[in-house]
Amino acid sequence: MTHMHIPDGIFPVWLWISGFLIMACLLAFSLYRLRGMDMKKKIPLLGVLSAVMLVAMSLEIIPIAYHLNLSVATGILLGPSLGFVAAVIVNLMLAFLGHGGITVIGLNTILLGAEAMLGHTFYYILTDKLSTYWRAALATVLALFLVSLLLIAIVGVSHVDPQTYGHEHGSETAAERGHDAAVPASLTTFAIVVLSLGVIGWIIEGAITGAVIRFISQVRPDLLAHTLHKDTCRTDPSRCGL
Amino acid sequence: MIDVARVDYWAANGSGPFHRASVLSKLLFLAFVVAAAVACRDPYPLAVGTGMLIVLAALAGLPWAVIGALSLYAAVFALLYAVSLRGDGWTYAVLLLKAVTPAYAVGMVIVSTPYPKIFSFLSAFLPEILAAGLFMTYRTLFILLDMMDNFGTAIRLRGGFSPGNIVKNSSNIAKGIGALLVRAVERSSRLYAVMVVRGYNGKMAETTVGAVGVHDWLPVGTGLAVLTTVLLWR
Repeated sequence: MTHMHIPDGIFPVWLWISGFLIMACLLAFSLYRLRGMDMKKKIPLLGVLSAVMLVAMSLEIIPIAYHLNLSVATGILLGPSLGFVAAVIVNLMLAFLGHGGITVIGLNTILLGAEAMLGHTFYYILTDKLSTYWRAALATVLALFLVSLLLIAIVGVSHVDPQTYGHEHGSETAAERGHDAAVPASLTTFAIVVLSLGVIGWIIEGAITGAVIRFISQVRPDLLAHTLHKDTCRTDPSRCGL
Repeated sequence: MIDVARVDYWAANGSGPFHRASVLSKLLFLAFVVAAAVACRDPYPLAVGTGMLIVLAALAGLPWAVIGALSLYAAVFALLYAVSLRGDGWTYAVLLLKAVTPAYAVGMVIVSTPYPKIFSFLSAFLPEILAAGLFMTYRTLFILLDMMDNFGTAIRLRGGFSPGNIVKNSSNIAKGIGALLVRAVERSSRLYAVMVVRGYNGKMAETTVGAVGVHDWLPVGTGLAVLTTVLLWR
């Protein structure tokens, strides 16, 4: 649900340009927050997790057209700022892998980056009474749910109307061309489809993210003790699986 | 996901006119085709534009049929979107061509330009961390895809994949992804150590905008032709 496979030229120009502008602002803010970090050391980790997201996206669950993306796992491991940078990289890579939708890179980055940021936030604010697995899984489901609402809002504000494409052929109308007039799109229908199919995807993604984070906390707990989480880990090592 | 290794091979080993053109001209070509897709509300000029791209790809010695197959990936999702719009055949045709035409242009660019060259060009405009991150992601992607392949074989050989048992499969896939991630992090740490030994100082991306050459007329001219066709048709 976090990646809009929408072709170029569907969304109004103001919307996708706004997407690029917001992405640039969020990226600038993330880079500002990262200025004190040892970036030399973080770049290999950033590359690995961005590549893991790309590989996860190749694991598609065919019946519901949902693919894993592990953005929440990336957010938990990298932190919100570096997680957003990873979202930018992944979307640029996807565009250059022929995934489609160059003009929606900005909007897609906002969605994917929001997942990483929200996922990280939820993971660290959820109660300690939950196990690592459930914290990561719940953080994933919550983040994906909120981002799906954001996706629906984006489609809603775009005011996409199929008649836009049905009545612009010189002076001909759709009826004159022998086509039936297009039925206006229903945002409610779109929202129902996204949320009903999405919930299956969120549960699968939540289960897998939970298991991945639990596995990492058992095998390499130091990966959860990221520099960005240093304060959290120092005050409460159990939160970092230490 | 598309076969990145095969695309990389074509990009690095081709010698046609499109391969010889500069990155700048090919990105301009891409921008013109995307602009045409954005501006177009009629399937016919876009169909003509796609036809022009296919002919050019064939004449330039690019794997035109494979690029066509790759561009259909975008068509699948455009079709889903068109269904959600509940439009007529006209709407379907416009949406499909809006998806396929730029995707075909992207395909032409990536099979004729090695990724490092594209990243090198982008590095001139992007923050250092993004440029270096793109290079590292590209480098790691091949390692991960290879490891993923091995993991897929191993999980089947060891009986870790049971058709119909979603819980068991999900658990094994999650452990596999976790193991993959841990191994990839270890590899990246070693790579980082090697980079440091070789003098890495936080700036790894070669930043070259490149010069415009005599071979650039082909991509720029084609892109302009597609855009002009769409604009004149209106």
